[in-house]
Amino acid sequence: MTSSLRRLIPIVVLVTAVVCPALLGQAFRLPNRPDSVKFAAIGDNGTGDRPQYEVADQMTKLQSTFPYDLVIMLGDNMYGGQKPADFVKKFEEPYRALLGRRVKFQASLGNHDRPENVNYELYGMNGQRYYTYVRRNVRFFALDSTLMDRKQLDWLDAGLKDAREDWKIPYFHHPLYSNASRHGSSVDLRLLLEPIFLKYGVQVVFSGHDHVYERLKPQKGIYYFVSGAAGQLRKGNMDPSDQTAASFDQDQSFMLVEVAGDEMFFESVSRTGRVVDSGVINRQRRPSN
Amino acid sequence: MPGRNRSRATFPQLWRFAEEYLLLLPLGAAIALAWVNVDAESYFRVAYALAFPVNDVAMTFFFALMTKEVVEATAPDGVLHPWRRALLPVIAAAVATMVSALLHVGMVDLLEEPALIVSWPVAFATDLAFSYFIARIIFGRHPVVPFVLLLGIASDALGLVAVALFDPTETHHYTQGAVLLAAAIAVALILRRARVRSFWPYLLVSGGISWYAFWRSSLHPALALVPIMPFLPHAARDPGFFVDARADARDALSQFEVWWRHPAQIALFFFGLVNAGVPLQSLEPGTWALPIGVLAGRPIGVLVGAGLALAIGLHLPTRLGWRDLVVVGFIVAIGFSVGLFFSTALLPPGQLRAETSMGVLMTLVGAPLALVSARLLRVGRFGKTEG
Repeated sequence: MTSSLRRLIPIVVLVTAVVCPALLGQAFRLPNRPDSVKFAAIGDNGTGDRPQYEVADQMTKLQSTFPYDLVIMLGDNMYGGQKPADFVKKFEEPYRALLGRRVKFQASLGNHDRPENVNYELYGMNGQRYYTYVRRNVRFFALDSTLMDRKQLDWLDAGLKDAREDWKIPYFHHPLYSNASRHGSSVDLRLLLEPIFLKYGVQVVFSGHDHVYERLKPQKGIYYFVSGAAGQLRKGNMDPSDQTAASFDQDQSFMLVEVAGDEMFFESVSRTGRVVDSGVINRQRRPSN
Repeated sequence: MPGRNRSRATFPQLWRFAEEYLLLLPLGAAIALAWVNVDAESYFRVAYALAFPVNDVAMTFFFALMTKEVVEATAPDGVLHPWRRALLPVIAAAVATMVSALLHVGMVDLLEEPALIVSWPVAFATDLAFSYFIARIIFGRHPVVPFVLLLGIASDALGLVAVALFDPTETHHYTQGAVLLAAAIAVALILRRARVRSFWPYLLVSGGISWYAFWRSSLHPALALVPIMPFLPHAARDPGFFVDARADARDALSQFEVWWRHPAQIALFFFGLVNAGVPLQSLEPGTWALPIGVLAGRPIGVLVGAGLALAIGLHLPTRLGWRDLVVVGFIVAIGFSVGLFFSTALLPPGQLRAETSMGVLMTLVGAPLALVSARLLRVGRFGKTEG
């Protein structure tokens, strides 16, 4: 009897390994290297409703196996009331487990956020509308696309110029490219920001605002992601064009990203844990680098 | 007959006035709205390329001409002469703009777009030319018309201060600008003392220094001639608001108008073209906050403000009643050119500016609301005794 059970163990292990990922969606593809930069990206999340909590639960679950220690917030971090009780209901409660594991949130603000939220300690903004920080070989630029004034553009230009890290990743609320029907591309901002991104070899940009997930085909060599469905959702709002590489508008979603040397791996994960898009971006070395 | 001739000389034909002051800006705005929603990229390329020469240079002459009207209004026969006369409308304007701004702030919260809170100074704007036109249509030559102008001037003056002081991007360098502006005003004063009668030295020297002072301070340089215009020698008596200067006028202020009147109108067209292009996809419910705040706030604010002024012992102008004030409130709610300017001066390109500018365009509804309310309340041309 005991030997029969022993013989069954490898079969059970094999079945579990094959069937469970199939049930949960595609297999987990991030390499999960020990010395890589790992982070999650959420946008348009702060509803305080059940789907936001379910996305947060999924993020917590995956953090156990993919130990990211950073979450970039793509704006509209809070909807409706923004009193202290709302910060508990729409931020601290859903992300309590992640905060408990010392995962750091670094926010950018959207048009539904109150300007004074830059002072909320757990957003990591230190009172700044726009700011920069480094994780290993990645420099992040959190921008305020709601008020993209000349001073901020000059600051970004100088910051990108001085950046010596391999990867420079700007993130902000309004997408420069989007094929969602509700808002679409912010062309006015694109004409201001894209020349700066191109000038300094930015390769990847994250935004929210449209409540869907979309990965654009490289535009002038830059990979743009729209990930604005970590709480809100506009089901069926995508109107894919020939710019669209992949999209998902059937459920809430968030992103997991791993920068390992010259490779950036990404996954978009739905509220139920299904991987709806994944891939890898190779860093393009600039002649000056 | 002499009276008829006099009235022709004193008041421009309304249609000609409309042609000069009211058509080009809406035309530019309409083209911009259509263009940006058909091909946003080409529109913004052109708009950004033209933004500096139009907004920061050409519009200087439009605001100079508006200031000229105000300066002349302080002369005998002008609506601002004597200054005491302006006290009641100034109080009414202060309350009316505050009520509008507070309603706007409340509405952006209610409509869940609190980032728009920073655009509250735009709620202060009144388009003087549009307001004058609607007031003339409804009230003819009733004393309400100068009252409307006074309210508008006071609201815009308060708005300019609010735009300068409450810039959400906080990029001002006031000290350097203040020193340069003081130098510009000193030069203008010297020119006036030296009885210089041509406007060119005022424009090129004082205006040039002032423009640099505004630009250096990150204040909107289109306002550069506003502090200089009062120093230009002007006629002894005010010919009336929006009355064209005679081509043979000898005073510097009138010469300035004769020279710059038409270029300023062309600047207005391009101002509409460059600044009114709002992609409709970028709009959210918060767009309604400004028009609701202004269209509801102005009539309420004008009534409350006038009530406060009466309570401290001031008097309403003759033949001006409470029902007239309601209509006046809707008239001065029209922000249009000045509102677009405030929006551009206050907000960088992006969603907030788009929503605020669209909200400004919506305040044009103040015109039909004024006409309807005048009819319902039986005032002006709809009353039993026409003014």
